[in-house]
Amino acid sequence: MSFSERMLKIDRRIIFLMIGLCTLLPLLYPVGLPIKISSEVRGVYDHIESLPERSVFLLSIDFDPASKPELYPQAIALLRHAFRKHLRVVTMTLWVSGTGMADQLVTQVAKEMGKEYGTDYAFLGWSPGGQAVIINMGQDLYSAFPSDYSGKSTKDLPVLDGVRSLKDVGYMVSLGAGRPGVEEWYVFGKDKYKFELGGGCTGVMAPGLYPLLRSGQINGLIGGLRGAAEYENLIGQKGKAVAGMDAQSATHLAIIALVIMCNLFYFSLRQQRG
Amino acid sequence: MIFLRRQLPLLITLVTGLLFAAQYYVPHPASEQMLTSATKWLQIVGGFALILGVTSLFHQHAVKIRRQEAGWGYSLVLYVGMLGTIAVGLWTNGKESVEGTMTAFGWVYNYMMVPLQGTMFAILAFFIASAAYRSFRAKSREAAVLLVAAVIVMMGRVPLGEYLIPLSGDVSSWILNVLNSSVRRAILIGVSLGAVALSFKIIFGVERSYLGGGKE
Amino acid sequence: MERKPSSRGRTLRSSKGHERREGEGVRSRLRRFSIGFGWFFLQLIVCASNLVPLDTLAQTSISAPHDVRVFDTPSDGGGSLTVQWAPSSWDGPDARYQVLAGDAAVTDPAALTIIAEFPANSKYVKDAKTAWWTRNVDKTWHQVLVRSAKGFEVKDGTSYAVAVATVQGDQRVFSPVLVASPSPDWFNWNQLNNLIIALSFGGLVFYSISYAKRHEIFLRRIPGLDAVDEAIGRATELGKPILYLTGAHDLHDPSTIAAAVILGKVAKRAALYETELLVPHREPITMAVCQEITKQAYLEAGKPDLFKEDANFFITADQFSYTAAVDGIMLRKKPAANFFMGAYFAESLLLTETGASTGAIQIAGTDSDHQLPFFVTTCDYTLIGEELYAASAYLSKEPVQIGTLLGQDIGKVVVLSAIGIGIVLATVGAVTGEQWPQLFLDLFRDLK
Repeated sequence: MSFSERMLKIDRRIIFLMIGLCTLLPLLYPVGLPIKISSEVRGVYDHIESLPERSVFLLSIDFDPASKPELYPQAIALLRHAFRKHLRVVTMTLWVSGTGMADQLVTQVAKEMGKEYGTDYAFLGWSPGGQAVIINMGQDLYSAFPSDYSGKSTKDLPVLDGVRSLKDVGYMVSLGAGRPGVEEWYVFGKDKYKFELGGGCTGVMAPGLYPLLRSGQINGLIGGLRGAAEYENLIGQKGKAVAGMDAQSATHLAIIALVIMCNLFYFSLRQQRG
Repeated sequence: MIFLRRQLPLLITLVTGLLFAAQYYVPHPASEQMLTSATKWLQIVGGFALILGVTSLFHQHAVKIRRQEAGWGYSLVLYVGMLGTIAVGLWTNGKESVEGTMTAFGWVYNYMMVPLQGTMFAILAFFIASAAYRSFRAKSREAAVLLVAAVIVMMGRVPLGEYLIPLSGDVSSWILNVLNSSVRRAILIGVSLGAVALSFKIIFGVERSYLGGGKE
Repeated sequence: MERKPSSRGRTLRSSKGHERREGEGVRSRLRRFSIGFGWFFLQLIVCASNLVPLDTLAQTSISAPHDVRVFDTPSDGGGSLTVQWAPSSWDGPDARYQVLAGDAAVTDPAALTIIAEFPANSKYVKDAKTAWWTRNVDKTWHQVLVRSAKGFEVKDGTSYAVAVATVQGDQRVFSPVLVASPSPDWFNWNQLNNLIIALSFGGLVFYSISYAKRHEIFLRRIPGLDAVDEAIGRATELGKPILYLTGAHDLHDPSTIAAAVILGKVAKRAALYETELLVPHREPITMAVCQEITKQAYLEAGKPDLFKEDANFFITADQFSYTAAVDGIMLRKKPAANFFMGAYFAESLLLTETGASTGAIQIAGTDSDHQLPFFVTTCDYTLIGEELYAASAYLSKEPVQIGTLLGQDIGKVVVLSAIGIGIVLATVGAVTGEQWPQLFLDLFRDLK
């Protein structure tokens, strides 16, 4: 077996080790490379900036702990921005396995920003039905969520004053790791009930949502950890996403190096075999 | 018997298929209400169907434990894990925290489910690298084009890539916004036509193999 | 506001024409100049009559909005009234319109609640997403929808008084008070084009099926499906099982149905070759249906005794728990062939990469476009997009299935033609400012 052949059949655990080191080392020794802001992330930021105080901002945390590394920083940055703009923040989830995490997330950021539950923000929790919940909210929000996560009647929440359905929402962002997620919020929500919609998703899903962005079906898209880092930069509060960008940079370069290497070995092998 | 196994399901499919296709064109609140109710019913039926699934799961692992097949210990772990979580969930009324204090169910969620799911998702990064090493080869001209595009996008999506090749950010954005979007739309058009055609066939009973049988 | 640019455009065009004539002979130039100047002067008068006095008028006197119409919003779910009125000469950023509504008994417009207030050069019929077949007035008319707002509720079946006022400075002039009541509708006429297109496509599919029954139709090779036999054969040779996954969704998704249909064909071959089949599920109803399909396949293969009830089994609905369990099956049982059909998400690479590490032949088929790169990279064969739906036709070679494919292909030709013609017409419309291309473009617009 030639060297090229051996290298092409390299034990994948060596690759795993390389990726592990490329992730770990930059986290331990951060470089802090500058991050360029993309127009799709700016779309979400600018829209929140343009909202008048006390407008209703609905954030649907449609992911579970599996996607936490990418979407959690997005949610934190969005909530910080909305709270800073003194918007009325209404949060919910369509993923039952994300309920506990979403509750912790919202409570943590609201506490940090000194916001009061019920007046400045609310967490409606999870309601069964996926896309049916979106349709239901479009007709009557209180029928979809008669009570919030803690069991309080949603009709008694001052934060929902004047809000009957999705039509009364100033801006809605879905942070989705799959289905139901951004696409469902467009098809069953915005398309039917006409409200402004933005999206956030994992890095893997982002290319799939570009058609929605290009056609104006969503007005902005925060894609993966990179998107979260851009948003953290925009609001001037660097967090876990910015810290993770060095690790992501190193990992991407490592994968590129691996691809180049495997092609070199592949061509060398092809040449040897004539 | 044939009526119950064949004709009745086909009749139900025809009626509900037409009804829900028509629902799209009816803006009346009654139509939206019907859709919401039907979806809720689906959830309820799905909930009961879970009994089917759980029965299958219990049966599968009970057989393994009884026969002491290879890895039967894992089946035992499954039984303990499942029954334990159900018991804890019922005990705490499904709440992860009560007045700021973490419940036992919350403990299971935070210290078992969250890290386990995170681990599974994190493995993706390692698998992407090994898959890329094994498969991203310029075997043909088309594969070479894909390879170059992939490298540019990977460079353009991280700060270090943009720092090393400043143009990569804009080029990757163009690839994603223009090339990627148009190709995905093309796939989407094909998929949608296929889905609509399949739906028509199912509604009108032309396609019936999903009912679990051939022709009569 | 709408008139000003066009008037200005006309003036510019005339001055451009004037410059072009300068290169001709002196006499001819003089003659043409005088004609041109005369025409230019005439234009100026026309423009002046449109522009100058209007501005002056707007500053000095405004009048009530005219031709005001109030009616139940057509093609809606209720809870809304539409107010329309004709554009006026003073429509500009300085003047404002107010739409007022209240109880039907109110006759004094000043007593009504202000529902909307906006500059007089905004809120037109053209801003609303409507098509020519549902429009009852010109696109330049003003249009506002009266819906429930804070402190004002619009209920179906109740009559409301509505008026429109023109406001400038301290002046406010009201239109007469009109009464209308909202009600929900049973058909959305804006979606008529959608219905016609859907029905036409359905008709086309059924025609293609009947055509396929009478004629021989060529079906291009799908290498992924040619490999099904090879994969099953290899599993038989090695005495290892076949693993078949139906994806993440339940049977509401056509891709799951397609996966179930293909399972029938794969199960039949597996039965013929007497090879073990493993079908782990994420959804109990899909499991029950697939059990029936597998049973039928074994019956059709003449091997009912080989059918095992637990070939189809449920694992969990949770994405990564399911992935971990299937990965475990792959590593322990080392199936010789893995089939990934249906809808997939982040688990796709975790499944296929583990499968690749065990050396199995892997065939994927999905319409989850976001996961296609992973399948293409790690699987031996991938059915892309609608190839998944075409698979049952390819495997069965039944005219019904092949006819459907023909219908789909004709549908694609129609869509591509519409896109091509639409691009040309939209460009013509944008360049010339003509309205007629919109007649065609509206036919393919997504209107709600």
